[in-house]
Amino acid sequence: MLPRIFKRLGPGRNGLVLLVIFVLAALVSPRSQRGDIIFLSLGNLTDALRAITPVGITSLAMTWVVLSAGIDLSVGSVAALSGVVAGRLLVHWHPEGMPMSLHVALAVTVAVLACTGVGLMNGALTASLSIQPFVITLASMIGVRGFALWLCNNERIGLGVGTDAAGLFGEWFSNKWVMLGIYALLGLAFLILLNRTVFGRYVRAVGDNFGAARLAGLPVLRVQLGVYALSGLMAGVAGVLLAARTTTGDPNGGVAMELDVIAVVVIGGASLAGGRGGILGTLNGAMIVGVVTNILGLRNVDFNLQLVLKAAIIVLAVALQRRKLRA
Amino acid sequence: MKSFPAFLARIVLLFGVGLALTGCGPSTESGPSSGSSASSPGAATSAKKLVVFSQCNNAEPYRAAQNRKLEELLSLQSDVKLVIYDGQADAAKQISQIENAIRQKPDLLIVAPLQRDSLTKVMGESMRAGIPTLCLERDIVEPNYTSWIQCDNFKIGRLAGQWIVDHLTKKNGEPRGNLVELRGMQGVEGAINRHAGAFSVLTNYPKIKVVHDANANWFQPQAMDRMTEALNAHPTGIDVVYGHNDPMAYGAYLAAREKGREKEIAFVGVDGLPNEGAKYVQEGVLGVTFEYPLCVDKAVEIGLRILREPGFKPEKTYLMESRMVAK
Repeated sequence: MLPRIFKRLGPGRNGLVLLVIFVLAALVSPRSQRGDIIFLSLGNLTDALRAITPVGITSLAMTWVVLSAGIDLSVGSVAALSGVVAGRLLVHWHPEGMPMSLHVALAVTVAVLACTGVGLMNGALTASLSIQPFVITLASMIGVRGFALWLCNNERIGLGVGTDAAGLFGEWFSNKWVMLGIYALLGLAFLILLNRTVFGRYVRAVGDNFGAARLAGLPVLRVQLGVYALSGLMAGVAGVLLAARTTTGDPNGGVAMELDVIAVVVIGGASLAGGRGGILGTLNGAMIVGVVTNILGLRNVDFNLQLVLKAAIIVLAVALQRRKLRA
Repeated sequence: MKSFPAFLARIVLLFGVGLALTGCGPSTESGPSSGSSASSPGAATSAKKLVVFSQCNNAEPYRAAQNRKLEELLSLQSDVKLVIYDGQADAAKQISQIENAIRQKPDLLIVAPLQRDSLTKVMGESMRAGIPTLCLERDIVEPNYTSWIQCDNFKIGRLAGQWIVDHLTKKNGEPRGNLVELRGMQGVEGAINRHAGAFSVLTNYPKIKVVHDANANWFQPQAMDRMTEALNAHPTGIDVVYGHNDPMAYGAYLAAREKGREKEIAFVGVDGLPNEGAKYVQEGVLGVTFEYPLCVDKAVEIGLRILREPGFKPEKTYLMESRMVAK
């Protein structure tokens, strides 16, 4: 019975790792004056989850990219682009007579679509030129960062906390429950899409064996376009949330975010060689990283040591899973 | 599914065109050029004096403000032509750009060095070539400059430390209270000295306690997450947040505001850029910030005298005073 459930969970098996880390965190957590365990308070747990939300959302689509045996290094730059585009439209564009809510909606839509466009470009170049996605998305990481910086003249775009469209945008999308809700909905959507649609199965097949998938007549090209477009889209959503939360369109935002995202996917049990991984695992991976970051912060561990500890936990989490898989 | 990517591509194109039409491009007038137009500045036809500014990294708001101010000031001088090189936070790049500049024999070279060690030698070559060379902000290992326009981060830190002592004395009747420090990137001169300066004052007051210190790498989003952890770990009793730059102090403010605790805490920042820190102070977000001088106004003042007054002997060092920006 139990092994069968395990099997069905697939890469979600590292739920055990999360559980162990969670219990450890509760044990070492500082306590409030009334003796409550601060780590376990609802406020702290949701804070921890929200801190990982932008990375978590991006890692959903990255899971698909990795499943298809690809990689997307451009997501950090794309998230920055998203914030800058939204910021410019909110602050420097003054549509006469347009309701503020429509202004916000348009700004978000354009930002996210621009990012989807970058993703499509990544996919199209990867598929049509048959250049490794590492190279294409590396180039796009550099180029998109430059474009974002150019769009706003190297300066941050302050959205402020006022009552104009920019302020409204910040208020809407930085709300904790809105952020967590978006993350939950997207997580669910990706879970269903991957496991219940033909496209999801194609993604796995392409990553498993590219040549065989093509010979079998699968739409390999369209799969690649699709996964990179989704990756751009999700990075765009993450960028919107980051911009709202920081009330800033920051062209230097999301630096090195791609590494966090890839780490989450790998901790979630995906193989960078493609074909293996899943959304449940990735959600789990995000929570492992979120909990570890949170407890190290709560304990105010020396921040250089935090990095060392985090590295150790990443390796440990991945190693534990591999063991279980072989057994 | 069949035409899904194509459909997306069309929409993205459409919005891209729309974006261009609504005039959302950057408002660069001249923009930092890469110097291709200055290939023959020594030609006798041009009587203009050539000023080269080697900027270590355009992609920082402080440096963007520096560039803009310099362009603004020199555009008033009809006999001066300015070229700005962007070192892109890469010491090797900045060195080779300065080597290029030396070959063009400019009438004045201004350098904002990325690192003190790496730039020392090449600035010596500039001096040997007889080019008046101004060094901005940071020291280099040997005095290979005509003048050094110095910014003193240690002193700024000391001012911040003293403000914190005064504020706590006013608030609690004696220099007593709890401090959270958000540090800039580890190992960077600014972070080292803004910390050391403040604590050269604060260590004299044993009742001022650092309850939480975290590394937010100069970034506002990281500051928000680290501050959220600090707030959760200390449900009451945080008096002051000292951020090594304004974005981090602002991020801490946003985190506290979300928990309704922004009123009990004073936020201290550094940099004081007009559309950033100085604005936050006016809005009552930051209690105080300390200006990190742009230095370029002094550089223009001295530079123009060097260009126009043959007998002018500049000082070896000009110390730029920081200015406290409070409401």
